[in-house]
Amino acid sequence: MSDPFRQHELTAAELRAAEAGEDYEVGLESLSQMQLAWRKFKSHRLALLGLGILGMLLTIAIVGPVVLPYDFATIPIPDKIVYEGRPPSADRIFGETGGLQRDVFRLVVNGARTSLFIGFSSMLIGVIIGTIVGSVAGFLGGFIDNLLMRVVDVMLSLPLLFVILVASRFFGNGNVLLIVVIFGVFSWMGIARLVRSQFLSIREREFVEAARAVGVRDRRIIFRHILPNAFSPIVVSASLIVAGNIIGEAFVSFLGFGVNPTTPTWGNILSNALTFIPLGNWWWPLFPGVAIILTVLAVNFIGDGLRDAFDPRSRAI
Amino acid sequence: MTKYIIRRVIQAIPVLFGVTIVVYAILLAAPGGPTAKFNQNPRITLEMKEAFKKAWGLDQPIPVQYCRWMGFCNPDAEGLAVFIGPNGWPNFLPTPLSGATTGVLHGDFGFSITSGELVNTTITRAALPTLILAGVALFVWLVVAVLMGVYAAIHRYSLFDQAATVFAYVGFAMPTFWLGIMLIFLFSGPGLNILPAGGMTETRLSPPFGSDAYWVYFGQNPIEAISDIGWHLIMPVFTLVVVNIAGDSRFVRASMLEALNQDYVRTAKAKGLPGRSVTFKHALRNAMLPVVTNIGLEIPFLFTGAIVTETIFSWPGIGRATIAATNNFDYPVLMGILLISSALVVLANLLADVAYAVIDPRIKF
Repeated sequence: MSDPFRQHELTAAELRAAEAGEDYEVGLESLSQMQLAWRKFKSHRLALLGLGILGMLLTIAIVGPVVLPYDFATIPIPDKIVYEGRPPSADRIFGETGGLQRDVFRLVVNGARTSLFIGFSSMLIGVIIGTIVGSVAGFLGGFIDNLLMRVVDVMLSLPLLFVILVASRFFGNGNVLLIVVIFGVFSWMGIARLVRSQFLSIREREFVEAARAVGVRDRRIIFRHILPNAFSPIVVSASLIVAGNIIGEAFVSFLGFGVNPTTPTWGNILSNALTFIPLGNWWWPLFPGVAIILTVLAVNFIGDGLRDAFDPRSRAI
Repeated sequence: MTKYIIRRVIQAIPVLFGVTIVVYAILLAAPGGPTAKFNQNPRITLEMKEAFKKAWGLDQPIPVQYCRWMGFCNPDAEGLAVFIGPNGWPNFLPTPLSGATTGVLHGDFGFSITSGELVNTTITRAALPTLILAGVALFVWLVVAVLMGVYAAIHRYSLFDQAATVFAYVGFAMPTFWLGIMLIFLFSGPGLNILPAGGMTETRLSPPFGSDAYWVYFGQNPIEAISDIGWHLIMPVFTLVVVNIAGDSRFVRASMLEALNQDYVRTAKAKGLPGRSVTFKHALRNAMLPVVTNIGLEIPFLFTGAIVTETIFSWPGIGRATIAATNNFDYPVLMGILLISSALVVLANLLADVAYAVIDPRIKF
């Protein structure tokens, strides 16, 4: 813990110069905003843990399905159906499902790809829409601002998971990309409010005024002067969207309105498990559930770390 | 104060109006429309589909359909007279004035496409089980969250506090339905079969809940009936409230810690008041201010949470009705449920604002 402005220890030469009463130059270590943020982030142990877990999960999601492919059409149907499934053992570490006897590990690994893809790409859509709407509202102000913000109010008054559920049933067709779009379309409102409020405060600041005075065009002011300053709250709230949408997708797929069951996601693996659970197949729902919890925990930890790192009032380095 | 409440109510009206448009637009944009479910049925001809559309007024232009559904238009009138109700007053006015009885504004959500019964009947029938579930859940949620939060704040950094922190993180990251599945395995699986895996009542003991025969049975053995429902409530309630408890116990703790650091608490202690009185009378009451608002905003989500909880535990409520309606493309029922739950969100926002204004005397208007 030290003050960011006093990171530089005086060198021996400087000390001597100071004692002798001579002039000397202080070699201040200069750090960019991002470097400062990274330093603070690194000191947040849970955030680092989260980053590690998320990195591991992303690696599994990218590499896993290549090593352990899951193609619904070509997996052989077992000769004898064992409804109780098989508990975890040495060759099937997460056990086997009841019924069609799928390898749970394989399902979870393949589910990771779909679930994480949906979580992150729908967040991206949400952030893009939210940033555009927020920037337009905050920069233009007046009638358009009012109109857009009322739209946000209305959207936030909808019970969102409910609407997403209905929308997935009507437009989703079990298609991963369509589900991504549906989740994206319903997750921009928070970002829009945030970006708008940032714009309202930043556009009055001196550096924007200065840019305007020297004749910088609106577009450049928005993209080069205002948006970079709104970056940190956007990132923090984006992490919350990822967590929310991963749980949301699991919720929708669990109820059978999300991704088609032939493409495993953590949600629809759980959905199939529900019927078999009274037979004792605990390993079937356990592992996809733990995967969801781990992902959301990791993302939330990273979000906490980012919040602290970007907060100018927290000076932990 | 009254002025403030009136202003907030007036502000809520356009939002609710916008909600009706969004709800209508989503369901309208759905591919296939209400006749989509007939596509798989070879015995239904094109003419029959047209007749179906005509019978339900689905052949009308969209604005007309919306206008009728809302109750601005009189479905029996022609031309500009559609806006005039049977009594000669504008159609959107309350029933005693306008004489109009159809449309959302007059409390009528139309007919279910699947069953043909009034949407109101479908919703009212499903509402009681959901209200029982949500009511009990709300009670458990408030009591546990406040107790946990206050205890953790008083004994800060104790073992309990740290356990509560871990619980908050994990509980918040946990999909509730997963918890529900695991609970079913634990308490009604092959090992420890002590709790019912689903349903609202023991079907071997009593008639189905909500039927006339059930109420006769209820009148004869009220204690048995209530304890039966209570027994079936344990797992669904637990599933429903864990996320809220996880979040709110932290919120109560933070709020309580802040209150405990205030000058008036120090003053009260300095005066020599007993610790218990300081904690509960001075700190807790003030700490509850932000908590009340926060909880008010979260209550409507009990109903969203109920969708999945009711599915897992076969609870015969609004959630199950929603799933059935979504499966069958039953537009009127879905619109009714969506609209009512959106209205609940708006109402909760309003109440939270007003409650905050009422309990916090420092807020001026």
